Amino acid sequence: MRAMIIDDSRAMRSILRRIVTDLDFETAEAEHGQAALDQMRAGVVPDVCLVDWNMPVMDGYTFITEVRANPEWRDITLMMVTTESEQRQIVRALAAGAHEYVIKPFTPDAIVDKLALLGLLPEGHGVNA
Amino acid sequence: MSAAAVETPAPDDVLAVTEDVWVALLGDDDPLLPRVAPDGAAFDATGPWSAATTVSGGWQGVVTVELDDTAARSLTARMLDLPPGLDAVDGDIADAVGELVNMVGGNIKSLMPGPSVLSLPSVAAGRAAFASDVREASRLDLAWRGSPVRVSVHVPVS
Repeated sequence: MRAMIIDDSRAMRSILRRIVTDLDFETAEAEHGQAALDQMRAGVVPDVCLVDWNMPVMDGYTFITEVRANPEWRDITLMMVTTESEQRQIVRALAAGAHEYVIKPFTPDAIVDKLALLGLLPEGHGVNA
Repeated sequence: MSAAAVETPAPDDVLAVTEDVWVALLGDDDPLLPRVAPDGAAFDATGPWSAATTVSGGWQGVVTVELDDTAARSLTARMLDLPPGLDAVDGDIADAVGELVNMVGGNIKSLMPGPSVLSLPSVAAGRAAFASDVREASRLDLAWRGSPVRVSVHVPVS
């Protein structure tokens, strides 16, 4: 499994990287949505993207709409990881194609459990472990 | 910044948000503690770092976080999981302090009337720049590992 971590904060990417590498994910990282799209078009296609909302250049919502517009990427799971916690924004992201939504701050267990619910973890990890 | 609404978040809510963010980022080994500072006193820190984020929309305000250099470096080292003896560089400190105010500000925004938009954070070694037509509505003076930390909420001058 490969996770693409998309967040303009290096510190937040580091935190998320530690969580998913502990779950044996390979990781790729991007500091905004456009950089992530560039990597994906170059062949770095992840199984799951952990996407911040507020980023320069291209925000997470635009990134999700771009990914969902490409049929070749329909199998990629998209999880928003953001401080945006208004119901309106959550609905918008899910309607655009996000599968899950995690609000910062989060615990590592919250990320693990969401990945498990999405069927992205081997047995022994997550909510039923 | 116009004075569309001057509602202010309750100080207890600001404290709860700040503590939640702190524990999530840094664990609960070294909790934030209350610190007494005189009303109107400038942030009394050595080599301070500060970050600001602006909320615009149904509620308008500016949230700022200030830390001294020691706290900012420790926070950054913890967030980046730097090995002992490796000091954080200024760019990393700015990044970490910016993410801190992003989380505190975003969660304060969620307590207030919406819809609103959160700006990208501005961070400075010194005082972060933000709109001047605001007044301090609430202020938390705290200490982390003996270093001062201040979280403030500013609202438009009505």
